[in-house]
Amino acid sequence: MLRLPVVSRALSGVAHTKGYGAAAGNVRTAATTASNLVEVFVDGKPVLVEPGTTVLQACEKVGVQIPRFCYHERLSVAGNCRMCLVEIEKAPKVLNINSVGKSTHWLLWLAVMVLEDLNPVPVAACAMPVMKGWNILTNSEKTKKAREGVMEFLLANHPLDCPICDQGGECDLQDQSMMFGSDRSRFTEGKRAVEDKNIGPLIKTIMTRCIQCTRCIRFASEIAGVDDLGTTGRGNEMQVGTYVEKMFMSELSGNVIDICPVGALTSKPYAFTARPWETRKTESIDVLDAVGSNIVVSTRGGEVMRILPRLNEDVNEEWISDKTRFAYDGLKRQRLTQPMVKDISGQLVPTSWEDVLTRVAGALQGAQGKDVAAIVGGLVDAEALIALKDLLNQLNSDNLCTEEVFPMAGAGTDLRSNYLLNTRISGIEEADLLLLVGTNPRYEAPLFSARVRKSWLHNDLQVALVGRKVDLSYTYEHLGESAQVLQEIVAGTHPFCKNLAQAKHPVVVLGSACLQRDDGAAVHSLVSTIAQNVRVTSGVQDSWKVLNVLHRVASQVAALDLGYKAGVEAIRNNPPKVLFLLGADGGCVTRQDLPKNSLIIYQGHHGDIGAPMADIILPGAAYTEKCGTYVNTEGRAQQTRVAVTSPGMAREDWKIIRAISELAGITLPYDTLDEVRNRLAEVAPNLVRYDDVEEANYFKQANELSKAVNQTLLSEPLVPPQLTVRDFYMTDPISRASQTMAKCVKAVTEGAQAVEEPSIC
Amino acid sequence: MAEYIQVFRRALGQLGGHGGIRGLFYQLFRVNDLKTGALIGVDKYGNKYYEDKRYFFGRHRWVIYTEEMNGKRTVWDVDGSMVPSEWHRWLHCMTDDPPTTHPPVSRKFLAETHKFNVSGTREQYVPYSTTRKKIHEWVPPKAGSQ
Amino acid sequence: MLLSSVLRTALSHTVRRVRRLHQTAVRSGAGGALFVHRDTPENNPDTPFEFTEENLKRIDAIVKMYPEGHKAAATIPVLDLAQRQHGWLPISAMNKVAEVLDVPPMRVYEVATFYTMFQRKPVGKYHIQVCTTTPCMLCNSDSILEAIQNKLGIKVGESTPDRMFSLIEVECLGACVNAPMVQINDNYYEDLEPKDIEHIIDELKAGRVPPPGPRNGRFSCEPAGGLTSLTEPPPGPGFGVRADL
Repeated sequence: MLRLPVVSRALSGVAHTKGYGAAAGNVRTAATTASNLVEVFVDGKPVLVEPGTTVLQACEKVGVQIPRFCYHERLSVAGNCRMCLVEIEKAPKVLNINSVGKSTHWLLWLAVMVLEDLNPVPVAACAMPVMKGWNILTNSEKTKKAREGVMEFLLANHPLDCPICDQGGECDLQDQSMMFGSDRSRFTEGKRAVEDKNIGPLIKTIMTRCIQCTRCIRFASEIAGVDDLGTTGRGNEMQVGTYVEKMFMSELSGNVIDICPVGALTSKPYAFTARPWETRKTESIDVLDAVGSNIVVSTRGGEVMRILPRLNEDVNEEWISDKTRFAYDGLKRQRLTQPMVKDISGQLVPTSWEDVLTRVAGALQGAQGKDVAAIVGGLVDAEALIALKDLLNQLNSDNLCTEEVFPMAGAGTDLRSNYLLNTRISGIEEADLLLLVGTNPRYEAPLFSARVRKSWLHNDLQVALVGRKVDLSYTYEHLGESAQVLQEIVAGTHPFCKNLAQAKHPVVVLGSACLQRDDGAAVHSLVSTIAQNVRVTSGVQDSWKVLNVLHRVASQVAALDLGYKAGVEAIRNNPPKVLFLLGADGGCVTRQDLPKNSLIIYQGHHGDIGAPMADIILPGAAYTEKCGTYVNTEGRAQQTRVAVTSPGMAREDWKIIRAISELAGITLPYDTLDEVRNRLAEVAPNLVRYDDVEEANYFKQANELSKAVNQTLLSEPLVPPQLTVRDFYMTDPISRASQTMAKCVKAVTEGAQAVEEPSIC
Repeated sequence: MAEYIQVFRRALGQLGGHGGIRGLFYQLFRVNDLKTGALIGVDKYGNKYYEDKRYFFGRHRWVIYTEEMNGKRTVWDVDGSMVPSEWHRWLHCMTDDPPTTHPPVSRKFLAETHKFNVSGTREQYVPYSTTRKKIHEWVPPKAGSQ
Repeated sequence: MLLSSVLRTALSHTVRRVRRLHQTAVRSGAGGALFVHRDTPENNPDTPFEFTEENLKRIDAIVKMYPEGHKAAATIPVLDLAQRQHGWLPISAMNKVAEVLDVPPMRVYEVATFYTMFQRKPVGKYHIQVCTTTPCMLCNSDSILEAIQNKLGIKVGESTPDRMFSLIEVECLGACVNAPMVQINDNYYEDLEPKDIEHIIDELKAGRVPPPGPRNGRFSCEPAGGLTSLTEPPPGPGFGVRADL
């Protein structure tokens, strides 16, 4: 209760009837019974709503949209723009007039009239809870006049620079002034001007356009957990900013661009590049982390112009991380656009597809069985994974590895429950205790972390962390750095066990970074035991999952589902003659690990770490250029869509592998995407049930098997690889190629002044 | 009658003017023509320039290319750009004064040794693009640099 | 020659009478006018500021007045304490307040910039606030302002080089019945004549704080010329009521 910021608490007088049910808005709460619903009328139409519902929500329920600027479903109610004024006809209090003496009843009536004020009044719909019998007039003369007046005041200080404003075409103020504003202005005075702020290389501020809706401030303090924005001054001189020179450096900062109803906060990389009506939108999936945020890719002329979030309540709500949003310029740099081979001097030179395909096919024909191996990276789609696996299996090789390590001891990857985020991202909202082990979800999976913060803020979620102490943007109990703490918890000697025992809906999340260590199996086994113990003590239903693994790369779950081996240990032990790197840019295996005359084939879309060491390069397609299946850390299969064509001679990954197979004389039995997906369905049917989570089970059995693990714990602390925001921006080939991300890193290390901006910005 | 004798003599001259049967076939295959004419001059690379005013204008001056030029064997692989600039003027009828009688004024911008046209080869000139590149491709590191 | 001097006097008189257009106290320099912080040598995050032992105890007492988890409610009184201790509020003091109250610094900046009585720029030891709103102006507050300006040699919004006095113009301070008035630090000096204010400034310069209150012999805000109403004793019950009730 006390965690909500004072501002929002003071402003949301709405919620008192039902705790946080209404103010928190979308935090899942038990449904109220039908008996205590309240009947109100919207333009005469009756509607039944829960008590505590605001006028605006009641109107939304019958499909009447009220204009608004400051109100946002996912933020606390501020009620300061006054755009949502509607007229309300209150129902008179029913007085038992007969019980009062006849001679005095007119006096009482008068008193009621004075106290109750039965005249219709305009009220701010976003902040006013409905009362029984109210008639909300959303289209009356008075309402229209009120809106017109508010709009006139808002426009008094708003510059009329729509032609040069990046928000033009998707601006709430523009749209609503067309819908509800007056057709003329009576304002002849000078307009106020506000100094622009430099809040980092991602967000461009034109503060004169600001209408002080405070959405960005509320977003920063409630969702992002970075209390850097605020209003300074008062009256006409009030402005939104940071007061001191400071960057708004949150991993979710880009979302303020979307929630800003005017053009005050716009995207710096996107500035002056495109208009919303001239771009083509493609609904797709982000692959730069394992969350699989739903995105819209805006393209124009075969070029990705920007990336916006797409609503998915179960994954990313309506937010996306800064890496997802701004790393798209990495898709235009360092690309592999034509096939290459090493010539005699060892220089990679461009060549034709015929040449490389025959070379690769020849090499594969010459090498059989254990001479061939493949490593897949973090951005590979399931179609390419299955094609590559089929190809190597045809050659009697099963050396297919992922770069990310997952301990194979115990049940290993045989049971899906071992490697999924079983509780699901939305499940965190029902949890009451969360134990994080060796992870920094804020940077490994920003939207998972945002969900945790939401639950922490509204549902009193208790968070504890084992591992290096990091800034999570919410408070947590730090249990210790080393894995020995886990042993203590298992043994029941740790003081935290008391909290665990009391938890009703516990969740344990293991960061995949821990599993990269040499004692990964032991850590996994301990966490599995903790989860199983807590599950028993909390007495939850079978449907509630406790054990979770939070992955960091998009392809991992699909690869494990398809039967890839996790980790490249096998390849180190038996160095192959032909090594096929499919988007493997982690640098797990270097040329020094392989025999002298071995052949390395790299297939991928960026010249990053894998490409320079390859002998043959096959240019593949990035995630905006192919229709591919990705499975997020929950086990949710989603697909990307083709937004732009692949550059130059690059082709979709599974097609390249299919072509190789044909030349090598072991033609794979699929020619179209649908046929590949049929094959996917044969191997792992859950991979083609899109937007659906296939539940995993056998937790108990997995735990029993994990007890067989006999590994000693290392004494080193559990340190996630991404500790500060600096480590967040560049984690994969795409974001490493992005100049915007490079600017962010520079701004974080050297300050916002160090980043040069074009003078027009 | 005399006309026919004249024609016959020219025919004989054309057949015999290339150095016997072997020369005749060599010329026929290499030049695809058996014209004979007055040798106006030979440039320093060995290209021979002929003229015969009895031919139709435009066919009255021609060149028989040298067999080796600038280190390239040019027996079969001949190219119009083998004609150096001073002869080019005469050959294309810009002037009637061949460089043998009117030596060209030497200019410092004229190459000492005539160069072939490099179009279609690796050294050809390609104008740089003035539009922004949408995709910047990866440039592989130079071999041995790491 | 004669005519022109007359003209000049007339002109200067009218010019003096023309006051500049209304500007809020926010704009005219109270609190520091600018709503973004710029580091200066005297005002930067490294400006030394530390609460004294005494004040820390006071802060504890203030915080205890509010329910647990609502420490932020103490922002205004604690900011005031900081200002009383330091004379004005450098950015380091605001940061310190945020630290003491466990709130994000931005929330403290918001409060400090909202209220004009929080001085975000250095002010003199004696901060003179002259009321020039209508009732005071009608009672010739302009002459008081002029007297102060002449006496101290500073203009509105400035402070003396020795940092003893600073002068600003403010809107109504709610002492209209005792117009004209000035507020110096926490004291109201009312019913002023130019000579009174000069005397007050002299006293302050000498290190004495003259007693606050009216300067024309009134005790408080009673009518200056004696009572004009309620002069007779109050009538008893039943006054003005119908005879038959």
